[in-house]
Amino acid sequence: MKLLINGNPEEVSGVLTIQELLAEKKVADPDMVTVELNGTILQRQDFVSIKIKEGDTVEFLYFMGGGSEV
Amino acid sequence: MKQRGFTTRAIHESGLREEAHGALRFPTYDSAAFGFESAEDMSDAFSGRKASHAYTRISNPTVDAFERKIAALEGGVASVAVASGMAAISTTFLNLLAAGENIISTASLFGGTYTLFKKILTPFGVETRFVLAEDLNAIEAAIDGHTRAIFTETISNPGMIVPDFAGIASIAAKHRIPVIADGTVTTPYLFRARDFGVNIVVHSTTKYISGGASSMGGVIVDLGNFDWTQIPALADYHRFKDMAFLARLRKEIYRETGSCLSPHNAYLQTLGLETLSLRMERICANAGSMAEFLSTHRAVKSVQYPGLPSSPFYDLARKQYSGFGGGIVSLNLFNRADCFRFLNRLSVVSRASNLGDNKTLALHAASTIFAGFTEAELKNLGLDDTLIRISFGIEDIDDLREDIAQALEGVEAI
Repeated sequence: MKLLINGNPEEVSGVLTIQELLAEKKVADPDMVTVELNGTILQRQDFVSIKIKEGDTVEFLYFMGGGSEV
Repeated sequence: MKQRGFTTRAIHESGLREEAHGALRFPTYDSAAFGFESAEDMSDAFSGRKASHAYTRISNPTVDAFERKIAALEGGVASVAVASGMAAISTTFLNLLAAGENIISTASLFGGTYTLFKKILTPFGVETRFVLAEDLNAIEAAIDGHTRAIFTETISNPGMIVPDFAGIASIAAKHRIPVIADGTVTTPYLFRARDFGVNIVVHSTTKYISGGASSMGGVIVDLGNFDWTQIPALADYHRFKDMAFLARLRKEIYRETGSCLSPHNAYLQTLGLETLSLRMERICANAGSMAEFLSTHRAVKSVQYPGLPSSPFYDLARKQYSGFGGGIVSLNLFNRADCFRFLNRLSVVSRASNLGDNKTLALHAASTIFAGFTEAELKNLGLDDTLIRISFGIEDIDDLREDIAQALEGVEAI
């Protein structure tokens, strides 16, 4: 399945929940990350139930950097 | 899985990334800035796509470790550590408020907080409506369509008033406004703020958490139980849903007002947090024992301590604060001169303005932490110039009793 993750084209195998995607991509500090799926910020409690689809755009966001784009 | 006990979690809870050398004590990263492998990495960090520290005013690994530990102990979503307890309060309200809005605050307050609300926020168009903590009807009556929060201290300093959190939280939920509690004097060990309907808890970590008054600090914890889309000041961040409060705090208010916690202080306070429960138990036992002693002494006009069975707040304090009454005792002598005589005769107890130290500290409130307040303002805060605040430490009780008894023998009223 092809996805756009943080602006980069990436592939994952199988249907994954957001929680599983965080593990699959070895996302740093998964307890601190905010996930935006196709322009919508997800509630943390939904990470285990929402599944990604072909062509989804996913952003992993943190509030640690210096900019103000988030 | 069964949740581990408070002290075990205070010691072992971290959620930290791996420490390079396996050090059991997480190191102090005393560095203003952090480097990047590439311009792309740097860009990703600054756009929020990469979990990297860039600049210590914004985030720092040692401060992060402290924040995670506090958030875990409070059962919160996340926390932001700041330079002092007053920074925790001011930063919280800067994040929530805009001109034309108001907050409700319980009337019995620490002097610094009162001044912040009355003298500093007012010129920015923010009104604070002070109401008695005991009067739930008055709290509800003060709320209007522009009210953005109810603020209270868990035990007011030095008034020793205990608010009914269940009652306040019920009113706040009905009007869809958050409850913000200053939990400094109860700490996360005595008061599980989330269980009593608090939405944001702030602490001066300078006090009990620092473990011996080693360093200044404060912390803001979002307990994850409020719908932030109710707050207009967070409009640009509503899309972050449960993270909206923290998102604006991190991205705008905290970083651009510059009240960051120093990494060295974060290290000391992480260390202090590990022994918090042990110290609080000893401190509360000392305070309880001395409150009993003081309440029967002929030189003492009255004693305010919620751990005394005679206190009107005894049952409420026991219910809310895990059976403890806290570590602070306020007492009234018969006049100001007697207060000064008493303070000047103390030898084990130090004359100092802090609280939550390992040392027992005492002060005359009206001439120190409320210096410059008018008589009317003191009265509104429930105080007068005969009040002495004692913050009990961990000394041996016999030494404290002997010192305080001999100091009371010197007052004129006897």
